[in-house]
Amino acid sequence: MAEKFDAIVVGAGPGGNAAAYTMAKAGLQVLQLERGESPGTKNVQGAILYSDALERIIPDFRKDAPLERHIIEQRMWILDDDSFIGTNYRSDAFNNEQPNRYTILRAPFDKWFSGKVKEAGGLVICETTVTDLLKDGERVVGVRTDRAGGDIYADVVILADGVNSLLAKKAGFHGEIEAKNVALAVKEIHFLPQEVLESRFNIKGDEGVVIEIAGAVTKGMIGTGFLYTNKESITIGIGCLLSDFKKGQIAPYTLLEELKAHPSIQPLLQGSEMKEYAAHLIPEGGYKAIPTLYGDGWMLAGDSAGLVNAVHREGSNLAMTSGRLAAETIIALKAEGKPCNAANLARYKNALDHSFVMKDLKKYKELPEILHHNPHFFDLYPKLLNRAAHTMLTVDGEDKHSKEKAIRGSFMQQRSLWGLMGDAYRMWRATR
Amino acid sequence: MSRIEEKLFQNRYRVDEGRSHIQIINPAVCADDCKTQSCTFVCPAGCYATDEQGGVVLTTDGCLECGTCRIICTDHRNVQWEYPRGGHGILFKFG
Repeated sequence: MAEKFDAIVVGAGPGGNAAAYTMAKAGLQVLQLERGESPGTKNVQGAILYSDALERIIPDFRKDAPLERHIIEQRMWILDDDSFIGTNYRSDAFNNEQPNRYTILRAPFDKWFSGKVKEAGGLVICETTVTDLLKDGERVVGVRTDRAGGDIYADVVILADGVNSLLAKKAGFHGEIEAKNVALAVKEIHFLPQEVLESRFNIKGDEGVVIEIAGAVTKGMIGTGFLYTNKESITIGIGCLLSDFKKGQIAPYTLLEELKAHPSIQPLLQGSEMKEYAAHLIPEGGYKAIPTLYGDGWMLAGDSAGLVNAVHREGSNLAMTSGRLAAETIIALKAEGKPCNAANLARYKNALDHSFVMKDLKKYKELPEILHHNPHFFDLYPKLLNRAAHTMLTVDGEDKHSKEKAIRGSFMQQRSLWGLMGDAYRMWRATR
Repeated sequence: MSRIEEKLFQNRYRVDEGRSHIQIINPAVCADDCKTQSCTFVCPAGCYATDEQGGVVLTTDGCLECGTCRIICTDHRNVQWEYPRGGHGILFKFG
């Protein structure tokens, strides 16, 4: 394979597929390399697909993409040891418009997306691990793979190789990820007969429910859990900052077991059959942890660029958008006859800055640091809120005024007035 | 289902026999210098275990390729971590 490509894309996740598809569709000679047996076999996500990012790439994706359920109901549960307090939003309007969110299974979904790359004329080669970037001085000129004679050349290489971003690290483009900037999530998929699942979650047809979970179940660690309904299965998982796991309170899979055994969750999984266990890192360092995104002959997209909005549980849409913007930058440079050097690829960063990707990450840039220093958002407040609800909902002859006073007292005792006001102020500052 | 082995049993793997993609660089560092041995409880696939001599043994067959062990070994940088050869390792059915 001595020929030279316009672009090489490393990885066939949402970022890589968006980039490869966009360039192939525009007529560029694109090679995409994937280390899995087929696209998707190495990839892990919750997973929620946000339609908009994909619609901008494949407008009619709903025609044949493997989608599980569209979300009509979102629950947010704040857990204590044997209770939860929460909110629900459910609307039938989500049935009457083009759905904005779907649950998906990444293995079939990524395979579908990769099929679109091939249809558009891209060359996709699987079972091939890229081991190094080939450089001419400082300029990236191609990749080395683990296949015999595996050197391949291109004008530009898009690294969409996932959160570990080993290739950019080896090339010296950025350092090792810090444990405080990454969450470790574990999850399982549980199968149930479709009619059981639908009656359990009060849904029909393709309707789906999402439950986001916080509180006691993370044992004071910064993290959240989730439960998503698929067509015939439930995905349940939990993730916390790796720096918190390292403190050694509990193994990730034991934490997952405890989530599954919670009295509010266990009945939802009753009688199901577990068919896969997965673990994955999620870059959650936010804006301040984003590495340099481009250089001479190379660009980063998706998780390898750290583009995840942890606050809103968004990642694959940022990956697809960054992949598309990287591709559009290359397409424009090709059309203008300009080289893919650092000066010209700066357009990519500029495009990201003007998109929701960087705007949203910038909005929450202080939040990771604040959460690191305020773990009571993940242990104390959930407990206090649950106890407050319990107090108010227990009719025991005590008057309501006294109950309210007791609840106020419990907050003041645990966190003091200044502590409470400080927390509210810091939260407001970090999310406004 | 609480044992990690039972969870991993549900997964599909193509193990690259005799070619572990992760290596402990210097086992003596784990045994003598590392106080926390956090890999033995943070690895989500339970690939790391303590042995009777106070060292750490690594078995990568059940590895989920997440990268945790590499990142948490900050004090000693004693983990050599690569992806498996193309087509090998964990093969997620659902992802």
